[in-house]
Amino acid sequence: MKTLTKNLTYFAVFFFLGAIVFRYGLSHFLENRSYNLVWIIAAIYFIFNFLIGWFFGKRDYESLPLYDVGFRFHFATYFLFNIVSVLWFSLGFHSNFESIRIVYVIALFWGIGLLIHLIFYLIVRKNSIYGLNKEEIFE
Amino acid sequence: MNKNNQLSELLSAWEETYKKGQLTLWIFLALKDGKKYVDEIKTFVEEQSKHTMTCESQSLYRNLRKYQHVGVVDYETGVGNKGPERKYYFLTKLGHKLLDNFINRNINLFFNKRIKNLIKKEDSK
Repeated sequence: MKTLTKNLTYFAVFFFLGAIVFRYGLSHFLENRSYNLVWIIAAIYFIFNFLIGWFFGKRDYESLPLYDVGFRFHFATYFLFNIVSVLWFSLGFHSNFESIRIVYVIALFWGIGLLIHLIFYLIVRKNSIYGLNKEEIFE
Repeated sequence: MNKNNQLSELLSAWEETYKKGQLTLWIFLALKDGKKYVDEIKTFVEEQSKHTMTCESQSLYRNLRKYQHVGVVDYETGVGNKGPERKYYFLTKLGHKLLDNFINRNINLFFNKRIKNLIKKEDSK
């Protein structure tokens, strides 16, 4: 099954850059105790991710309707966000008010969510051929 | 509603349902006829179906991408009539087998003598 599609790659690139900007903004505003701006950058980050997910997800489905209930995009999001976060701490870019423990806790709980999503994905995959919904191949 | 209107509406409703899923057969027939690019497939489908089937190029591309993904259709690039490179689609071995099996199981039924006679026979009632 084709997993890494062109639109998923574009999404991953935008998401990766967005995660770096978010991490930078978060650490910077926390360091300067600008707590109101932390909320603002978190909201902007959420909207940005929603928009790129919606845009590239829609284009991806229109291009080739892979029947994965959004799992590929979810996995890419999980993987990239946590990689950026861990690297951010490893390279010492974080503020004094951030702890890597939070990153691990987020990865753990989000990972449980991702696992549930994987189970759903494996269930619906039974109704597909090469990742396409059987009922949609010859519609 | 008069009888003619009723007939016309019922016919349209039936045809709408009947045509769903037929596009694949027409595309496959177009490709069995020979390698074609999208505009040629569209022309083939519309002409050979006597314009009972119409299809948008975007819809054809989307379907062809799915068929290619499952391995029944592939393409090679070639120069088109007007210059730029085009994708010439063709049926793969699996695609040919799939079409043959589909025709044997679903289309050839209509060529059985009894059914042929029933289709030819006009209802006198």
